Amino acid sequence: MSAADFRTCPVTSLKIDPRGELLVKANAVVAVVSLLIGAIAAVLLVLTRWQAVHLLPAEWFYRILGVHGMSMLIFFIIFFEMAVLIFASTALLNARMVTPKLGWTAFALMLGGAVMVEVIMWAGKADVLFTSYVPLKADPLYYLGIILFAVGALLVCGLFFANLVVAKREQTYSGSLPLVVYGAVTAAIIAVITLLHGAAIYIPTFLWSLGLMEVDPQIYRLIWWGLGHSSQQINVAAMVAIWYMLGALTIGAVVLNEKISRSAFVLYILFISMASAHHLLVDPGMGSAWKIVNTSYFMYMAVLASMIHGFTVPAGMELGQRLRGIGTGLFGWLKQAPWGDPGFSSLVFSVVVFGFVGGITGVTIGTEQINIIVHNTLRVPGHFHATVVSGTAMAFMGATYYLIPLVFQRKVAFWGLAKIQPYLFAGGMFIFVMSMTFAGTFGVPRRHWDISFSQAPFDVAFNPAVDVLLAFVALGGLIAATGAFIFVAIAVKSVFFGEPIGTLVPGVAVRGLPQGITSPPRHAPDVDRRNEELHAPGQGWLGPAPGTMVLVFIFLAAFIVYFFVNWKVLSFVWKIG
Amino acid sequence: MPEPPATDEETRPLGQRLFDNVFLLLIVGIVVMAVIYTGWGLFEVTTLPPATLP
Ligand code: HEM
Ligand SMILES: [Cu+2]
Repeated sequence: MSAADFRTCPVTSLKIDPRGELLVKANAVVAVVSLLIGAIAAVLLVLTRWQAVHLLPAEWFYRILGVHGMSMLIFFIIFFEMAVLIFASTALLNARMVTPKLGWTAFALMLGGAVMVEVIMWAGKADVLFTSYVPLKADPLYYLGIILFAVGALLVCGLFFANLVVAKREQTYSGSLPLVVYGAVTAAIIAVITLLHGAAIYIPTFLWSLGLMEVDPQIYRLIWWGLGHSSQQINVAAMVAIWYMLGALTIGAVVLNEKISRSAFVLYILFISMASAHHLLVDPGMGSAWKIVNTSYFMYMAVLASMIHGFTVPAGMELGQRLRGIGTGLFGWLKQAPWGDPGFSSLVFSVVVFGFVGGITGVTIGTEQINIIVHNTLRVPGHFHATVVSGTAMAFMGATYYLIPLVFQRKVAFWGLAKIQPYLFAGGMFIFVMSMTFAGTFGVPRRHWDISFSQAPFDVAFNPAVDVLLAFVALGGLIAATGAFIFVAIAVKSVFFGEPIGTLVPGVAVRGLPQGITSPPRHAPDVDRRNEELHAPGQGWLGPAPGTMVLVFIFLAAFIVYFFVNWKVLSFVWKIG
Repeated sequence: MPEPPATDEETRPLGQRLFDNVFLLLIVGIVVMAVIYTGWGLFEVTTLPPATLP
C-alpha cells in the first residue's frame, strides 16, 4: 500500500492507515454493545441484592450474574483492548496494519464466539457463572464459544507483534517505542500469558463437557485463574498506557523519566500474572509456600510498579501544567485543570479510585492471612469494581471521548451529558464500592441470591446495618449504571449519526470536542526557564511536583492504616487464651 | 526526545536494548509465570497425597 493511502490526523499529525482504523472501530463498537448488555444485567443484579426489592428469582439471579461477568469483564474489556492494541501498533507508530484480512478473521472469531456464549447463557444452558468451576457443567457450545473468542484474541496479539516488527523494519519510528505503545506491549505480553492458560483449561473442559475426559476441580481452579486473574492485568497495563496518553492529550503531561516508567512496565510483565494465586488462598490443594511466594514476595514487585505509575502519572500531569504556566501553589495545577473535559475528569477519577480504593484494598485482601476474613464476601466485588470498573472501564470511557474525534472523526454527541458522565459513573461507583466493602466486612457473602435465607432450615442473622448498606449498593449501582447508559448513548449517537469534526482552528473551542483537541496543550514560551526553576534546589524538599508528593504521603498513610486495621480485625477472629 | 537513530544498535545502553527487545520480554514473562505459578502449582496438586478417610 502506498503512503498516499494514509490519512494524516489533523490534531496529532500522525499518519493513519484506514485499514487498521476500520478494525479499531469495529472492535470498539462491539465493546460498547457488550457494555450495554452488561449494564442492563447490572441493574437487575443490584435490584436483586437490595433485599427490600429482591427482584429476580434465584435461577435468573445466577444466570444474569454470569451474563454480567462475561459481558463486562470479558467481552467489553477485551474487545476494547483489541482496539487499543491495533491503534497502538498502527496509528501511534505511523505504521500500517500488516494483514487486515487476518485482523478481520480474528474479529469474526471473537464476535462469533461472543454471540454463541451470550445466546447459550441467556437460554439458561450455562448457569455456571463466568468462572464455570468444574464440576459445574455448561452446554459444550458455551466452552466452544469461549475457545473461538480466545483464539481470535490470541490472533490479534500476534498481529500486534507483527505490526511492531514491520513498523521497525520500515522505520516508521526511530529509537525505542513510545511509552504508550510500550504499555500496549506489556498488555499484549500479559494477554499471551493469559490466553495460553485459557487454552490449557478450556480445551480440556470442552472435551469434558462432551464426556471425553476428566478434569480435576483443583487443577481447573489453578489453571483457570491463570486466565481469570491475569486477564485483569492486561486491563491494568492497558489502563496505565491510557493514563499516559490521556495525560498528554488533555493537559500536556510529561513523562518524568522514561527509564522508571518502562522499568515499571517490565515489572508487570515479570511479576503481575502470578497474583492469580490470591484466588486460591483458601484452597486446600496448595501449600503456604506456593501461596505466599505468589501473592506476596514476588507479586509485591508488581505492586511497586503500580505505585510507580501511580506517582509518575499525576506527577507528570502536575509538571506538565506547571511547564505551561498553569496554576500556582500546591494544587493550583489541579484546580485550574479542564474539569469539564470528560477525557480529563475520567483520567483523574480512574487514577484516584484505582489507587486509593482498588490498590489499597487489593494488596490488603490479597495477603494470605487477611484473605481468610474476606474470602467470598462482598468485599471482593467491592474491591474489583474499584479496579476494573472505576479504574479500567472509566479510563476506557475517557479514552473514547478522544477516540470519537480522533479515530471516528465525529463530534461527541450529547456534549452536555458527556461532561457530567464521568462524574455520574465514578460517583455512583464510589458509593457502590464503599457500601459493598462495608457490607462485606459484616460478612455478607458475594454471589448470593438471598441473605435472609428465607427457605433455609437455618438462619444467619446479619447486623441490621447490612440492609441499609445493600440499599446504598443499589443506589450507587443505579447511578453508575445510568452513567454507563449515557456513555453508550453518546458513543452510539456520535459514531453512527455524529456530526463530522470539520476543520479545526487551533484555540477555538467547538461544542462536542474536548479541549485537548481544539487547543492542544503547549508549553509556555519560557518553558526552559520554568523547568530550571522547578528543578532548582530552592524549590524545597518536595521537589518539582510538590502537590503530587503531598498526595503520595496521604496515600501511604491511608495504605498503612488500612493494612494494620485489617490485621487488627483478623486478631479478633480466633481469640486465644 | 533526542533519541539516537535505530540503526546504530551499539550506541544504545544495554538496559535499553534489553527493554526494547519485545520478544525477549515475552519469553521471560511466560517462563516466570509458567515456573512459579503454573508449574509449581501443578506440582503441588499432583503430588498431594490422598486424604486418609476416617
Ligand atoms: C455499571 C455499573 C455496574 C454495576 C452496578 C455492577 C454491579 C454488580 C453486582 C451487583 C454484582 C454482583 C455481586 C454479587 O452478588 O456477588 C457484580 C458482579 C460482577 N461485576 Fe459488576 N457492576 C457494574 C459494572 C461492571 C463492569 C464494568 C465490570 C467489568 C469490567 C464488572 C464486573 C463484574 C464481575 C467480574 C462480577 C462478578 C461476577 C461473579 O461473581 O460471577 N461490573 N457487579
Ligand atoms: Cu484476581
